[in-house]
Amino acid sequence: MIINLWSVLQWYLRPIIKWFLRKTTRLCELQRICYGDKAGAPRTCNVERSLMLSRTKDIKEVISHLDATVAEKRFTVDNFRNIFDPSVAIIIRAKQINCKLHGSFVVSIRRCLEQIWSYRNLVNEVEELRRIQFDSNDPSHEEKLLKLWSLLVPNELLESRVSKQWQAIGFQGDDPKTDFRGMGLLGLENLLFFASEYPQASSHVLSHSHHPKYGYTFAIVGINLTSMAYYLLKDGSAKTYMFNTKRYLPDINLFHRFYCYLFYEFDKMWIESKPQNIMEFSVIFKKFENAVRTELADPASVFRINIEVDTI
Amino acid sequence: MGLLSILKKLRSNPDKELRLLLLGLDNAGKTTLLKQLASEDVTHVTPTAGFNIKSVLSSGFKLNVWDIGGQRKIRPYWRNYFENTDILIYVVDCSDHQRLEETSQELTELLQDDKLRGVPLLVYANKQDLSTALPSPRQ
Repeated sequence: MIINLWSVLQWYLRPIIKWFLRKTTRLCELQRICYGDKAGAPRTCNVERSLMLSRTKDIKEVISHLDATVAEKRFTVDNFRNIFDPSVAIIIRAKQINCKLHGSFVVSIRRCLEQIWSYRNLVNEVEELRRIQFDSNDPSHEEKLLKLWSLLVPNELLESRVSKQWQAIGFQGDDPKTDFRGMGLLGLENLLFFASEYPQASSHVLSHSHHPKYGYTFAIVGINLTSMAYYLLKDGSAKTYMFNTKRYLPDINLFHRFYCYLFYEFDKMWIESKPQNIMEFSVIFKKFENAVRTELADPASVFRINIEVDTI
Repeated sequence: MGLLSILKKLRSNPDKELRLLLLGLDNAGKTTLLKQLASEDVTHVTPTAGFNIKSVLSSGFKLNVWDIGGQRKIRPYWRNYFENTDILIYVVDCSDHQRLEETSQELTELLQDDKLRGVPLLVYANKQDLSTALPSPRQ
């Protein structure tokens, strides 16, 4: 009821407040955000909110045009000029912004648009990967699985494709093919990225999973973390992480990095919790998710993997 | 005998609360069954490390459903969840021909446990819809 009242009030009040601020500051809302909010998640999320609430016809068209670009799979980095130049131009015209005076706004709004729609594109891409079931008849899937083994256990040859050895890296049985389940190829790609791009961190985490007292099943926990990363991406919580990464736009590799961050941090929390046995997994996993969600809720949070010296 | 003992238990249980225990090998479909009971999405299931629990309201009963991971490493912990179980559901993957022996062995061991004595058992022949599923009864 209160929420309803608030949204009704907002619907009528927002234009009045905006008009008043526009007259007093001589800046439109998008400019106030781009000049006032820190670059990254605070700015980009506010720009996105402002755009989505906009009732200007041109702005609405920009949004649906960009959404269509994503839906029709024309959203590629080489295509960015064609995608964003017209969109930025339309926004500048609709908001009657003087480009000469507000050059930095143009740069900043463009960056925001790139981040917002790269994120939306990433959600689709991740969903597609998740939907591909691991198929042992597909040579490319098999190749990835075997590569994961050689990266994680470089000093030991896999005796056969179906082997008890898989349990050493935390699969459930002799054949990992049924372990990916609802996370499909996404689960395997995540693990593979962790092993190949963060060899030091992943072998550190893998060795923890072999701990005689606090050991756990590396790959299975990894697949559950894929699921966590997937839901955080889908419900928009991961925006804080993605938009605060200065060097990269949201793309599949950044999603993998996010996963690696989660894996590294989960391992840390698990070991620090000194669990009795693996049956405490669900409780600690939930606790971890809540901690991550709290951190992501603060748009100022910046995330990176800090490899620490082991003390256990 | 099974039905009778359930009814007896129900009568002595005024809260109409039941504890269901889901066991079976890994990849049998225990978590999917749990989610199905709770009317949740079943397309995003992940392997269970540890256990899952959900409370489901069904025709006036509160069902506390415990779904325990089925991988070999976890099986020794199964017995920690036997206490006060009202119904045991043992899930079998009918398309997993190779591990039929293994699953029957695990079930036999379960049935010998004192804590599960008198607990009604449902063997749930899962994945009947797969073309590779064994026919029932086995020919």
